[in-house]
Amino acid sequence: MASPLEQFVDNVRTMSASGSFRELCEVIGKSDEVLQRNSAHLPTVLETLDIQQHSLGVLAVLVAKFSLPQGAEVDKANMFKQIHDFITNCNGEQVRFSPELYAELCHLLTNHLVDIKQPIRGIEILKKAIRKIQLFDSQLTSIHADLCQLCLLSKCMKPALEFLDTDVTGIGTELGGNNDSKHFLLYYYYGGMIYTAMKNYDRALYFFEVVVTVPAMVVSHIMLEAYKKYILVSFILHGKILPMPKYTSQVVCRFLKPLSVAYHELATSTHAASKHRETFVRDKNMGLVNQVLSSMYKKNIQRLTKTFLTLSLSDVASRVQLGGPSQAENYILNMIEEGEIYAMINQKDGMVVFLDSPEKYASPETLCVLEQQMAACTKLHQYIQEMDEQIQVNPQYVKKSVGSHDEDIPATSQNSKTTYSM
Amino acid sequence: MITNFDKLCGELEKQELEAPTGIASPSTYAQLLAIYLYQNDLCNAKFLWKRIPQNITSSNPEIAAIWAVGQKLWKKDLPGTYHALAAFNWTEPVANIIRALEDKVRERTFDLVGRSYSSISLDTVVSMTGLSKDAVLHVCRDRKWVLNEDGVTVSPSPPTQPAPLHTSSEDQLFKLTEFVSFLEN
Amino acid sequence: MFEMNTAEPMQVDVPPEDNENNETECYVVDNPTLDLETYAASYTGFAKLYRLMFVADHCPSLRLEALKMAISYVMTTYNVSLYQTLHKKLAEAVASAGLPDVAVQMGSQDIPVLDTIWIESKTKKAAIKLEKLDTDLKNYKTNSIKESIRRGHDDLGDHYLDCGDLTSALKCYSRARDYCTSGKHIIMMCLNVVKVSVYLQNWAHVLNYVSKAEGTPDFNEVPGKDSNQSILTRLKCAAGLAELATKKYKSAAKHFLAASIDHCDYPELLSSNNVAIYGGLCALATFDRSELQKQVIVSSSFKLFLELEPQLRDIIFKFYESKYASCLRLLDEIRDNLLLDMYLAPHLNSLYMQIRNRALIQYFSPYLSADMRLMAAAFNRTVNALEDELMLLILDGQIQARIDSHNKILYAKDVDQRSTTFERSLAMGKEYQRRTSMLILRAAMLKNQIHVKNVGRDTGPQSGEAPGSSTSLTPRTFDTVPL
Repeated sequence: MASPLEQFVDNVRTMSASGSFRELCEVIGKSDEVLQRNSAHLPTVLETLDIQQHSLGVLAVLVAKFSLPQGAEVDKANMFKQIHDFITNCNGEQVRFSPELYAELCHLLTNHLVDIKQPIRGIEILKKAIRKIQLFDSQLTSIHADLCQLCLLSKCMKPALEFLDTDVTGIGTELGGNNDSKHFLLYYYYGGMIYTAMKNYDRALYFFEVVVTVPAMVVSHIMLEAYKKYILVSFILHGKILPMPKYTSQVVCRFLKPLSVAYHELATSTHAASKHRETFVRDKNMGLVNQVLSSMYKKNIQRLTKTFLTLSLSDVASRVQLGGPSQAENYILNMIEEGEIYAMINQKDGMVVFLDSPEKYASPETLCVLEQQMAACTKLHQYIQEMDEQIQVNPQYVKKSVGSHDEDIPATSQNSKTTYSM
Repeated sequence: MITNFDKLCGELEKQELEAPTGIASPSTYAQLLAIYLYQNDLCNAKFLWKRIPQNITSSNPEIAAIWAVGQKLWKKDLPGTYHALAAFNWTEPVANIIRALEDKVRERTFDLVGRSYSSISLDTVVSMTGLSKDAVLHVCRDRKWVLNEDGVTVSPSPPTQPAPLHTSSEDQLFKLTEFVSFLEN
Repeated sequence: MFEMNTAEPMQVDVPPEDNENNETECYVVDNPTLDLETYAASYTGFAKLYRLMFVADHCPSLRLEALKMAISYVMTTYNVSLYQTLHKKLAEAVASAGLPDVAVQMGSQDIPVLDTIWIESKTKKAAIKLEKLDTDLKNYKTNSIKESIRRGHDDLGDHYLDCGDLTSALKCYSRARDYCTSGKHIIMMCLNVVKVSVYLQNWAHVLNYVSKAEGTPDFNEVPGKDSNQSILTRLKCAAGLAELATKKYKSAAKHFLAASIDHCDYPELLSSNNVAIYGGLCALATFDRSELQKQVIVSSSFKLFLELEPQLRDIIFKFYESKYASCLRLLDEIRDNLLLDMYLAPHLNSLYMQIRNRALIQYFSPYLSADMRLMAAAFNRTVNALEDELMLLILDGQIQARIDSHNKILYAKDVDQRSTTFERSLAMGKEYQRRTSMLILRAAMLKNQIHVKNVGRDTGPQSGEAPGSSTSLTPRTFDTVPL
């Protein structure tokens, strides 16, 4: 009777029944080896447990089952269905006691789908998985990165947007602490790529900026790749490389620049694109580089609109080094369509008249936009205030601020150890 | 018969994501691709085209034909777009979307010309809208664009903005109150 | 798409100062109206030698004369190596010039030949003198008489300078610092260091020691008003040179304008004429109208400097009277001579351009619209060239206007305050939202201790501390991004 595996099942049952999930998590944490050793019996164990009642137990068994190194190939066929069933039916409150394990199951599913080249199948289920484990909509989990990866690989980006569009205000515990921050970096890196693919460069830049500003003691490859794309997107949006925020880790500033010389040269040299073609192709950034080049024409045309009231199309072409008047006309027409400039082309005289923005900020739409923007700002402000209040009542903070006040004169160095590491 | 394409779009997307092997039916792909084009969502159209399995694209010429239109739109090649639209004998339910797409592209083009040109040759408008000269002249009259004396150029006028939506003053008052109370706290 | 884009889309942004560095090297001045004799007479020491060499390098017609003068001057010093260098240059000049017959006959007679005996004896004498000064210094040191040690260092420095060993000279002068016993000594030490640093073109050093001298407590109490004034002028001139060399034209102008003509005796560095030119041009390039009027035109002290350079005085007055065409023409006339000035030449283009730009801005400032054809005539330019110039100024925000290229009219831009306010506040709101959400995210990151560290959690020393860390996860390593 007292085989460790049976004991495990027993524990799961009694603790689930009594609601002692925290203790159960500890037991599960120690049962890893037992489960791995008894892999042959795991299917039987699963049959004795109920997904809804014993969610944590089933979760542990599933993870153990699918993370076996090799040999268990047989069951991979059922893997998708089993995980699908589990995520659909498990008890959210229970699994929240062990988000790491839950996330691990999702990682396993993701890897499996990537292996069998059917990434698109995982999108719906991961969306469900995220919604189930989240405490609130703007909480980031390590499953987010998986979802984005599947979206990118399946070239089906749209489903990721509802998550990407939500600004993160909280982070699941499984992402931080002693776990490496890989999934955090990946989420923002993949997210940046998805936004880039959707030509939402503003958001893309934000995401890449997050990646490169993560506090760092070493530089990861993900950061380097993100930095390269940060540069390119920055060119497309602003025509120059935006400086990195001051809080960027020093090691990042020191190492990233020398590793991305080719990208920096785009700013100064007009032939960098062709000179470093190989680098860009190897980095799979050639498409973006081409976007940069084309955006330079647009930037230059925009500059013309600041300087000129009227200009002939052939002058436009020669000033921004386009092929000829008709190419200039094309660029201008496209830019008008995109709302990037305001102009009137006179085909008869071959002239273009640059106009000021017709926006007079006097319409009900303006009011509506203003209201939305103000509401958004207000919301953020209130959130910051809440955060501030939370810090004010944080015991550690109170202790530190009061403590330092008391011991104002003696030994200020001692209490610097109690940190609320902001 | 213009149906609600946005709703259909959502349904088709769902169909694709829930397809058991990750591969949807050709009809789903074809409609979704056409709807993305109709919505002028070229990015998503492009990626959809890229992810449709090759055996489906090769055995369903209609899908390839839809993307041929998409490519022209991507390159902003308007004359090419109309060519591509006319080059295929569309079948239902795609044909319905394609008709709507063609009308929409043309409508957008007229609006763009109205906004961007103070004078433009009639031939350019003809090639940009894929219409016959008479049809163009007809639209010009509808839009009150003036045909110049030389008979070859028109002077377009900007499209009229749709009447702004009206918000209730109560609603505005409410928002204003909220805003002021925020400022004062 | 790509091939066609290999053209130069980013060219427009390149700042105009790009071509300055090589410009110093390879231009040639053909028709200077410079009287070399008078010019050289204003300087002593390295100032004379360097300036003559600069002229020789950039002006073929004066090359031989300049080199000859330099050689005869260098023979009054111990600077043997420079003597040899100059002779080599001379030989090259004679050879490469392929002198026309007349010149050969004329020139071959008075072209000096390399005097090896002189070299030998000078080298020997220099060594003897060095040894003597060295032993002297040692003696002073053993007796530890501060004042003598200081002088010993200074003398040694002087000798090194005489031999052309600038770095050693600088070392000796700097060492004297520890033995200074009065403010006056400190100032003397600073002046020595400043001088050598100028020769070495170490401009940061120059400014550093100028401010050291000015900061000396009894700088203002040094006995004798006059000597004080003369020291002040020297410091101002040196600082001006340093600012000029580092392209800070406005502060250069201010320094030069503070010089006093009665006490401007600094042949080791520059002449009063130099002060007038440097100060005048820098002021013209960087001062606005009222500054120009108050600090240059009616300045009683600088007026005297300008008397030395009547052409420049005319230029400044023409500029102030808005007679830009003649002002610019006069500027072009003196250009060749200025290009032979070693300190000014590298900056002449950018100074001229700034002056021009300033003129353009002032010209347009009272107008709502201006006919570009008239404007072009007033500035000796074609309409198209003017259009390019104006474009850069507009982009730079220096002229608030727009060009009607069709009718060639420049229109002042009327700014709609209301719209710009809306535009700005919306942009500000966007920026606020972006930054705040970034801040919130960052707070969450720090709270959850998200940071990039070495791979492999197992190596982490504080394992187990983190909340909810589980042991059942297979450790994962960073793969390079799988896409």
